[in-house]
Amino acid sequence: MADVAFNDVDKIYDNGVQAVFGLTLDIHDAEFLVLVGPSGCGKTTALRMVAGLEEISGGTVSIGGRVVNDVSPKERDIAMVFQNYALYPHLSVGENIAFGLRLRKEPKEMINERVAWAAKLLDLAPYLNRKPKELSGGQRQRVAMGRAIVRKPQVFLMDEPLSNLDAKLRVQMRADIAHLQRELQTTTVYVTHDQVEAMTMGDRVAVMANGVLQQVDAPQRLYDRPANLFVAGFIGTPPMNLLEATATVNGEVSVNLGGNVLPIAPEAIQQYPRLREYGGRPVIVGLRAGDLHPAQGRDDLPQIHATVEIVESLGGESMAYFRVDARYIKSEAAEEEAVLASEGTPETVVGSRPNLVASFPPHVHLRLRDKVPIAVDTKNLHFFDEASGAPLR
Amino acid sequence: MSSSELASTTAAAPAAAAAVKHPRSRLKFKDTWWRHAVGVVAMCAALFPVVYIVSSSFNSNSSLQSAQVIPSHVTLHNFGSLLHNNVKGNTGAKQDAPYPHWFLNSMLISLLTALATTVLGALAAYAFSRFRFKGRRGGMMGLLLIQMFPQFVAVAAIYLIVLNVGEVFPQIGLDKLAAVVIVYLGGAMGVQAWLIKGFFDTIPTELDESARVDGATAAQIFWGVVMPLAAPVLAVVALISFVFTLNEFVIASTILQTTSHKTLPVGMQLFISNSYDKVWGPFAAGALLAALPVAALFMFLQRWIVSGLTAGSVKG
Ligand SMILES: Nc1ncnc2c1ncn2[C@@H]1O[C@H](COP(=O)(O)OP(=O)(O)OP(=O)(O)O)[C@@H](O)[C@H]1O
Ligand SMILES: [Mg+2]
Repeated sequence: MADVAFNDVDKIYDNGVQAVFGLTLDIHDAEFLVLVGPSGCGKTTALRMVAGLEEISGGTVSIGGRVVNDVSPKERDIAMVFQNYALYPHLSVGENIAFGLRLRKEPKEMINERVAWAAKLLDLAPYLNRKPKELSGGQRQRVAMGRAIVRKPQVFLMDEPLSNLDAKLRVQMRADIAHLQRELQTTTVYVTHDQVEAMTMGDRVAVMANGVLQQVDAPQRLYDRPANLFVAGFIGTPPMNLLEATATVNGEVSVNLGGNVLPIAPEAIQQYPRLREYGGRPVIVGLRAGDLHPAQGRDDLPQIHATVEIVESLGGESMAYFRVDARYIKSEAAEEEAVLASEGTPETVVGSRPNLVASFPPHVHLRLRDKVPIAVDTKNLHFFDEASGAPLR
Repeated sequence: MSSSELASTTAAAPAAAAAVKHPRSRLKFKDTWWRHAVGVVAMCAALFPVVYIVSSSFNSNSSLQSAQVIPSHVTLHNFGSLLHNNVKGNTGAKQDAPYPHWFLNSMLISLLTALATTVLGALAAYAFSRFRFKGRRGGMMGLLLIQMFPQFVAVAAIYLIVLNVGEVFPQIGLDKLAAVVIVYLGGAMGVQAWLIKGFFDTIPTELDESARVDGATAAQIFWGVVMPLAAPVLAVVALISFVFTLNEFVIASTILQTTSHKTLPVGMQLFISNSYDKVWGPFAAGALLAALPVAALFMFLQRWIVSGLTAGSVKG
């Protein structure tokens, strides 16, 4: 067991591309840390530097207190699970799992014992004599896990290990892997671009964008207190609505959101006290889908008016997409490319697409193109500076 | 396209297809008969020497003119005289033809060369495929360019080198089998390395990396992961270089001089080199026997020449 520490780590590839900028991150012993971010943000690069498969251009990486910049992968005592599993096709499942132990010339009884242990843990016992090509995707994934756990390494490194599985299996394996990690208490760095995976699996989640670490926190804190606009737009399903508004401060604080004046609840001001300094200035307001309600029967809440664009019924709830007359920030999930193209802070855009999504109870009757009132629970709103993307805390 | 247009095209399509169908099937034989003709001619051309060799090897008459395709007397006499070094010319004079020696020499040289070529080629290919170093591109092009020069244009130089090296290391000097193998290996690295590299490139590097994290050294990855997966291409390369070496004449005839040190092509050439006394019978029998190991090797390697060996390594 060991902790892993990045200390001001840079990675510049031979072609001059800098994939990681000044990454500083401490991963505690026995922790399950998820590294999440959009495609191309440098997650894999960071993970491969821990594995020793990629040279470290600047800073240090240490495992268990030992700087490993110049230590070969073999001597780092880590195990890695690759996105495509990387099973040895000419070896049986049992031989695949035993591969690392055989290389280390462990005694035969010990190898057999460990392989049996791993196979039992992962329900692979009936398949030990099969070749990888005779297994299903989920079984292959478990073999890859088996190969990692059998050596009882200090650290597990996993690079999108579930991305080749279908949705249902992914949900199950998600739980299985998290459970296995808690059982084994092995420090784990898990890379994914799927924020749901990150939120459900990680003890803590590190969000990266464009090679820069944005925030490291427990999933719930990431959701409740995003450190900047990027994290706010990235974490959560559906992503947070981020709209441009103008603040007004005269004793009470309110924002003007596309012509709708929204008085802000004192709880929100407590969270974001600097909003008071933004009187007469534009701010970015973050509204979670769950804080928007149908107006009927919620006279206690202030309202905004928006045009109904799309309604998707999910059975237990309805996702309603509206348009408000305000500039907005494209959500990370929907518009990965746009954020990749814009360096640093996301920019607001004017568009004709829906810019406000609400999760409503089922059977709410909404007619397309109607302008309807929506009740807003302003206690949980988030506020950000438009230029820097910093929260107004 | 409007919807009415669309409807009319779909309606017209089956009719048009039906109209075309008939003439086309009649055209078929008219169009393609020549392919069959070419095929038959090519097959005859290819089989003619085989039939001829088989027939004359079982024929008691060792002159070509009087030989018939179906021998009047089927006999194993030619084989017998070959194996017992008892080949007699048409005049009745015994020729010095230690065929079993030649056979063994050829097998030894060809097997060693094939094996070493494959291993050397694979080693070079692994470096070119997996390592990034200065001169990688240049090295690969160089290999191919050097290979473009036929080896036998250098035969005078090779003769001199072997002669001089032999003064210091008699074991690899003139008239030694080892010398021939070494000269062959000098030409081994070109096309073979390219061929193998092409295959190595299709083996996912994640397998190497995974093995590295598991604690394998470069050598362990090469022998334990990459080589087993490359079995098909290795089998092909081994077979090609075996056949090539078995047939090679110029270098073998330059270096090997003692009759009993010769290889099959060089030795058997003696049977037909005398203008007035060509012994075709034993020659044909010898050629037939020499084809057996090639066929055997092919059968042996065939099971490795199967595709899809990497299936299941990656992806779901
Ligand atoms: N071997 C390489 N040489 C040069 N540039 C590279 C190399 N590998 C990755 N990059 C670049 O580094 C950046 C980060 O890549 P990385 O693979 O770490 O992204 P990622 O976050 O893992 O993305 P994904 O979710 O798509 O896997 C990208 O811009 C990529 O183009
Ligand atoms: Mg990646």
